[in-house]
Amino acid sequence: MLLIGQLHYETTSKYNFPRIIKEIELSERIVELSVNTMRMIKGRILQISNIDFSDSIIELYDDYEECIPIKGKILSALLNSLKPIRDGTPIIGVDVSSIKVGATDSGVIYAVRGAIVQRINGKYRYFRFGPLPFHVTKRNFQEILGECDEDIPFESGISLRFEPQRQLCNLIERWLRMCISHLAKGSLILWDGSLTAGVPGSPVKEMSEILKVARENSNIVMGFSKDTTLKFLDWKITDLINGYKPPCLFEIDSLPLLSNSRLKLLGRIYVAKLARGGCSFRLDIDRCIPSEECIRAVERLIGNERIYQGYPETLRLAHIYSTFTASDVIGIQRLLVRRYGLRLVAQSNMHRTLFGPYGTKIGG
Amino acid sequence: MRLFKKIGNTLHILCFPDEDVEKGEYLLIEDEEAGKALIAQVIDVEFANVPGVMEELLRSSHNGYPIEGEDEDPLDVTSHILYIQDARILICKIHGTVVNGRLKQESSWLPSRMNSRIHKLPTESLIKMAKIDGDLPILLGETQDSFPLSIDARQLDGKLNIITGKKGTGKSHLSKILMLGLIDYGAIVVILDLNGEYTNLGYNSDGSKNKYHDKIHILAPGKNFKVTLYQTKLYVMMRTLVYALGLPGTSAREFRQIWRFLERNGRLTLHGLGEAIQNWKCNQHVRDALYSRYMTIVNSGFFTDNMAEAIDFEKLLSKTEKEGGGAIVIDLSDTSPSDRQMIVEYVLANLQDALSDWKIRAVFLFAEEAHLYLRETYWDDIVTRMRHFGLFATFITNQPNTIHENIYRQADNIFLLNFVNEHDLQVISRAARADAETITSIVRDLPPHHCLLLGKIVKDFPMVVKVRPLNVKTMGQTRYFFTDERITKLVRELNQAPIGR
Ligand SMILES: Nc1ncnc2c1ncn2[C@@H]1O[C@H](COP(=O)(O)OP(=O)(O)OP(=O)(O)O)[C@@H](O)[C@H]1O
Ligand SMILES: [Mg+2]
Repeated sequence: MLLIGQLHYETTSKYNFPRIIKEIELSERIVELSVNTMRMIKGRILQISNIDFSDSIIELYDDYEECIPIKGKILSALLNSLKPIRDGTPIIGVDVSSIKVGATDSGVIYAVRGAIVQRINGKYRYFRFGPLPFHVTKRNFQEILGECDEDIPFESGISLRFEPQRQLCNLIERWLRMCISHLAKGSLILWDGSLTAGVPGSPVKEMSEILKVARENSNIVMGFSKDTTLKFLDWKITDLINGYKPPCLFEIDSLPLLSNSRLKLLGRIYVAKLARGGCSFRLDIDRCIPSEECIRAVERLIGNERIYQGYPETLRLAHIYSTFTASDVIGIQRLLVRRYGLRLVAQSNMHRTLFGPYGTKIGG
Repeated sequence: MRLFKKIGNTLHILCFPDEDVEKGEYLLIEDEEAGKALIAQVIDVEFANVPGVMEELLRSSHNGYPIEGEDEDPLDVTSHILYIQDARILICKIHGTVVNGRLKQESSWLPSRMNSRIHKLPTESLIKMAKIDGDLPILLGETQDSFPLSIDARQLDGKLNIITGKKGTGKSHLSKILMLGLIDYGAIVVILDLNGEYTNLGYNSDGSKNKYHDKIHILAPGKNFKVTLYQTKLYVMMRTLVYALGLPGTSAREFRQIWRFLERNGRLTLHGLGEAIQNWKCNQHVRDALYSRYMTIVNSGFFTDNMAEAIDFEKLLSKTEKEGGGAIVIDLSDTSPSDRQMIVEYVLANLQDALSDWKIRAVFLFAEEAHLYLRETYWDDIVTRMRHFGLFATFITNQPNTIHENIYRQADNIFLLNFVNEHDLQVISRAARADAETITSIVRDLPPHHCLLLGKIVKDFPMVVKVRPLNVKTMGQTRYFFTDERITKLVRELNQAPIGR
C-alpha cells in the first residue's frame, strides 16, 4: 500500500502512538497532499456560506449498504449473553471528520481532522491529526482519488456533492487505522463504521491489509455503525435485539461473502446491545477472528471500557475530538486568509434575505 | 481591534488575544474618511460570543477535567482557532470626538465598521487634548500606560471632593498626597484626623524630619490644644453648646445673658462661668441644663483658664497663612465621641468666623469619617454656604452611604478606590459626575492603591491611576492583635503543649 509501505515503524511497549505517528513520514505525505492542493490558491476569493453544521459535516456513513439484502435462509442467528472480562486490554478508538470551509471559483476547500483516543488503565488520552485544508478541484480530484483507491472506479450513482469530502476523510481514516494496526499490540481497535470493503473509499485490498496487520499484532478490529440500514426480513437489524437483556450480542450472518457484488463484508456482523438503557449498534468484527474469540473480544471490551448509552467511550471521544465546531471553521478560514491570502466573501444567502430564519432549509 | 456594535453611547469592540487592552484604558476609533475619531474608554472586557466555543469547552473536558492528549497540527491551525476562540469584546463608553486634534463633545456619529482603525489612546495624548494638566501640578502616580499623572491643584480649589473606598485601600494615603500637594502651593489645610494618622506627616519614613516638618501643626485637644473662654467668641460658644451639646433654646438664651454678664465683669473664666450658672436667677431646669453642659466642657479638658497653655486657634490660622501655608491636624484619636463633636464644632465655627472676617483667604478641610462627628445640618452647610466663605471640603470615608446623595451630586471630584460590595457600588454610582456603568465596572476590579479619578481634575475623563508611595512615617494602619511575635510565641506554646490537653 502506498503509504504504509514506506514505514519504518517501531512499536513501543508503552503503546505511545502519538509520538510515533508524529515521527513517521506518513504525516508528511498527507501534509504534502494538502499543501499541493493548496498550491495554486493564493489571492483567490473564498466564498463562505453560513455553515449549517448538521448538514455539512460528513462522517463516514454507510449508505452504500442500503441495497445489501440479508436473506433469511443464510442467517443463523445466535444470541449471546455477555459477561464482562476485566483484563486490562487497551481500547483504541479512531474517527475522522471533515467539513466544507468554503468554495473558490475552481473548487471547494475542505478541512479534515482525525482523532485517536486510547484508554489504558482507566485513563483516556487523545491524539489528533490536523486539521488540514484541501482544495479540491475538478482537475485534482482524480489525483486525490488516485491516492485513495486504485481498485474502485468512480461510481456514477453516488452523490457527487459529498464525494471529494468523503474520499479525503477515507484517506486519512485509512491511514490512521493502518498506523494503529501496526503500532498497537494486544488491543481492541474500534472503528467508526462497518468493515465492508469494495466501496469507494474502502478498497478491499487495503482494508484486508489493515486487518491483517492488526491480527499480526494480536489486535482485534471492531467497527461500530451508529446508524445502519441493513435489514433482515424488513427489520432494521438493530431492532432485532430489542427485548433481550443486555449486555448481549446477536450474530447476524456467518457467510463470508455476498455473491455478485463488489462489496465484501470483511467483518462478522453482529447487533450489540452493550448496556442497559443504551442503544443497539451494528458491530462488525474482523471475519478472520474465530467466532468465539469475537464474542470474548466484546466481553473484554465491556470489561475494560466505559460504555455510555451502549456506545464505547473511546469511540465517542474520538468522534467528539475530530468533529469541527463553528470556531474551528472560523479559525481555519483565518488561516486561509493569513497563509494563503484568500479573500473571504460571504455567500449572499437569498433564502435568508427572503424568508428570514424560516428560509434556512429551503433548497439545502 | 474591530468595531462591532454601538448601542447608545456604548461601543462593543472585538479584540484579539494579541491585543493587550485593560479596563480603564482609552481607545481612539479613527475613521479616516470621515476625518474624525471617537474617544472611548474600556469599561469592561467580556468573552466574545464566538460560535462553537461551548462545544469546544464541552469536548475538551471529561468528568469536568480536560483530557490529556496531543495535537499533531502541521499547519498550526490551532493557533488560529485559539485566536478566534479567545477573542474578547471590549465594552466601551464614548467620551467625545476628535476632529483635527481638537476635542469635541459630540458622540452621535457612527464610524465605519469596516474601515475604522482602532488603537489605544496614550494617556499623554488624552491629557494634552483635554488639557488635564495645569500650572499647579500635584503628582498622583502612574496611569495604566505608565504615564506620570498629575492633577491641577486649581481643580481642587473651591471644590468639593470625596475620597472613598473600602477599608485599607489607601484613602488616607491619597488624602495625604493631596494635602501635601496643596501645602506645596501655600494653602492652609485643616485635617479632622480621627485616628491620629496624620500626626507623623512631618517625618520621613526613617523618622528624620522632612521639609514639611515646620508646616505641620498637630493639635491634640486637651493636650496641646486647649482654649480659654476669653479667646472664644460667644457665637462660637453658642454653636458649640447648641449643636454639639444639644442645649435647648430657652437655656441658650439664659447662657447668652450669663456670658454677657461675665464679659462685662471681666470674669470670663471656667471658674467664673461655673459660679455664675449656679447663682443665676432662673428656672431650675434651665440651670440644670446649663450646669450639665458646663460640666461636660470642664471635663473635656479642652477649655482652660491658664492663658499660658491655651492656643489662639484663629491666630494660628492667620500665622499659617502668613508663613506660606501649612497643615493643622486636629488629632481626635484620644477624644471621646461627645467631646469630638464639641471640638469639631468649635474648630469649624472658628474657621467660618476667620473666613468671613477675611482673616484668612481659604481653607482646605479634610474630614475623615465625618459622619462620626459632623452634625446632620452641617453637611449641606459645608457644601453650600461655607464654600462661598472659602472652606473647601474633602470627605474621606470607607462607608459611602454615610455621605448623602446630594453631596455626591455636588461633588466636583471623586476619588474612588476599590469597592466590592454591591450596595456601596450602587451608592457611589449615583454620583452625578460619571456614568454608573463605568464606575461599577472599573471600581470593582481596582487593585490595591489604584484609584479611579472622576470629575474636574480629569475633565470628566475617568482615569485609573496607581497612587504613588509617600516617604512619610505612616501610622493609622489597621492594628492587629496577632502580631508576628505573638503568633510565633503561640505556635511554639501550642507545639509544646501535651497532646490531648
Ligand atoms: N499608593 C500607595 N503606595 C504605597 N503604600 C500605600 C499606598 N496607599 C496606601 N498605602 C499603604 O497602605 C496602608 C493602608 O493605607 P491607608 O491607611 O491610606 O488606607 P485607608 O483606605 O485609609 O484605610 P482605612 O479604611 O483603615 O482608613 C498604609 O500602610 C499605607 O501606607
Ligand atoms: Mg484611612
